[in-house]
Amino acid sequence: MSDYAIETKGLSVYYGRHRGILDLDLQIKKGEIFGFLGPNGAGKTTTERVLMDIIRPTTGTAHIFGQDCQKEGVAIREHVGYLPGELSLYKNMKASQFFEMYYSLQKNNTDPGYWKELAARLELDTHRKIREFSRGNKQKVGIVAAFMNKPDLLILDEPTSGLDPLVQQTVMELVREANQSGATVFFSSHILPEVQAVCDRVGIIREGQLVATERVEDLTTQHFKRIRFTFANTPPTDAFAQDGVIETSREAGSITLEISGRLDEVMAQTASFGITDIETIPVSLEEIFLAYYGKGNGEKHD
Amino acid sequence: MIKLLWQELRFRRNGIIGWGIALCFFPVVYVGLYPSFADQMASFQSILDLPIYQAMGISMNSFESYMASTVTNLVPVILCIYAVMNGTGTLAGEEDDGLLELIVTLPIHRWQIVAVKAVALGLALLGILAIVAGGAALTLQTILSQIETLVTPMDVFWGLLTAWPLLMAVGMISLFLGTFSPNRRIAAMLATVVVVVSYLGSNLSGMITSLENMRVFFLFHYYKATAEALEAGQSTGDMLVLLMIALASFGLALLFFQRRNITVGAWPWQRAVISR
Repeated sequence: MSDYAIETKGLSVYYGRHRGILDLDLQIKKGEIFGFLGPNGAGKTTTERVLMDIIRPTTGTAHIFGQDCQKEGVAIREHVGYLPGELSLYKNMKASQFFEMYYSLQKNNTDPGYWKELAARLELDTHRKIREFSRGNKQKVGIVAAFMNKPDLLILDEPTSGLDPLVQQTVMELVREANQSGATVFFSSHILPEVQAVCDRVGIIREGQLVATERVEDLTTQHFKRIRFTFANTPPTDAFAQDGVIETSREAGSITLEISGRLDEVMAQTASFGITDIETIPVSLEEIFLAYYGKGNGEKHD
Repeated sequence: MIKLLWQELRFRRNGIIGWGIALCFFPVVYVGLYPSFADQMASFQSILDLPIYQAMGISMNSFESYMASTVTNLVPVILCIYAVMNGTGTLAGEEDDGLLELIVTLPIHRWQIVAVKAVALGLALLGILAIVAGGAALTLQTILSQIETLVTPMDVFWGLLTAWPLLMAVGMISLFLGTFSPNRRIAAMLATVVVVVSYLGSNLSGMITSLENMRVFFLFHYYKATAEALEAGQSTGDMLVLLMIALASFGLALLFFQRRNITVGAWPWQRAVISR
């Protein structure tokens, strides 16, 4: 039995001549909450669709709980709850009818009333027809459907999209609770603070390729340091112009540097100007993400 | 699978009743009113001898021919629209709407999804035909004392019901085209071409000697909407041919849906072109 809930090796998907994902190697341990980050078109949804066997890879393999996503898709899907990014529902059904239908088509059913509990927590009126729902309420229907069978793995494509902040918080609570009950969670999101708040690890995908997979703390503490130095003697403007160092601000004897190279070398360099104060400024996941995409301070650090 | 089939039938319930009742107007109006203009039918025939009507398989030189032209000819042709709409809508349409993404992520084999939808489509077509056939038989029963005919209400009932193999063939071809084409629109367009060419081709090949050899390629060649067929029933061999076409199309639908990249909307040959 595999230690990994999800494992992909050399996974590539092409849509005709267009790249979907490229040589994706991903390993997600059982019991993890894994955040999958990337801008639109980076390949997040494609990856999730390959895992759910909605689309087939051009090359490479994808496994869930050690089983091949293509060959053993049915057995895998008994244990997976999935929320698509572009959710479409049967508009003429009441939400309750949809849940009953969806539940009846699942296997390993254990708790037929759980969807009611979930709907109540999300304050969803299940007696109304789906066509009467707002986008946010439709998203709630999708969330209930993904969680209703208490799956071992949740694959959620932007689960909080279209939800108000209070409901977003409830969804994140549901994610944490599912994880505490032993479920692995793989979710993509554009809301980086929520990823930072709940995820153990994150993967950053850019143009179909995985460019980083790290623990959230490691990513925010080790990827680059942001340090504000206050000097006795103001250094010249080109004092830190070198690889791995970006000067992000300079004001009244204070200079803020983002350092991704050798810290000891930079410290020695700064010491020559007489340091009077040092302050480490926390780096958010969002800044790391933007740095990977070269939009933070004009340069990326990798 | 039974649960999924039940759901599929529930989704189609209103369509079955709606189409069934709407199509009942054909036999109710055309057959029900026949006694009131039976005497004038002979004068219509000279108009209906025009090639355009012959191409449409319409003749009215007797009540049986009139019945065949207006009921057993037109009802299946109109129901082909339902077969095309539903056949292409059931997989391709649901894919276009995004509904299929939820269904294929359930713990169900893809072949089961295709099989259930094909069975549901078949039952829906049978249900609609049964409603229309029942309506036609009842209407004939009502006017039977006012006309002279050897056709019985049961002949009409079975005459319409035996259009089912033809409609299944059209439905399954549409289902297959839905799994083959990038989207529903293209699938529906192709399926409509198949139906129109088959209908006109079958009738024209009976009129134009040079087309005679091609008639075996037209679906409607295997369904006879004639007075003779109304009395004697459809040929078993022809019905088997249509059912074989339906089965072959269903097999192709299974094959192409099994390999299809859902949500991508591509032709089969576009699925994996590597251009590194």
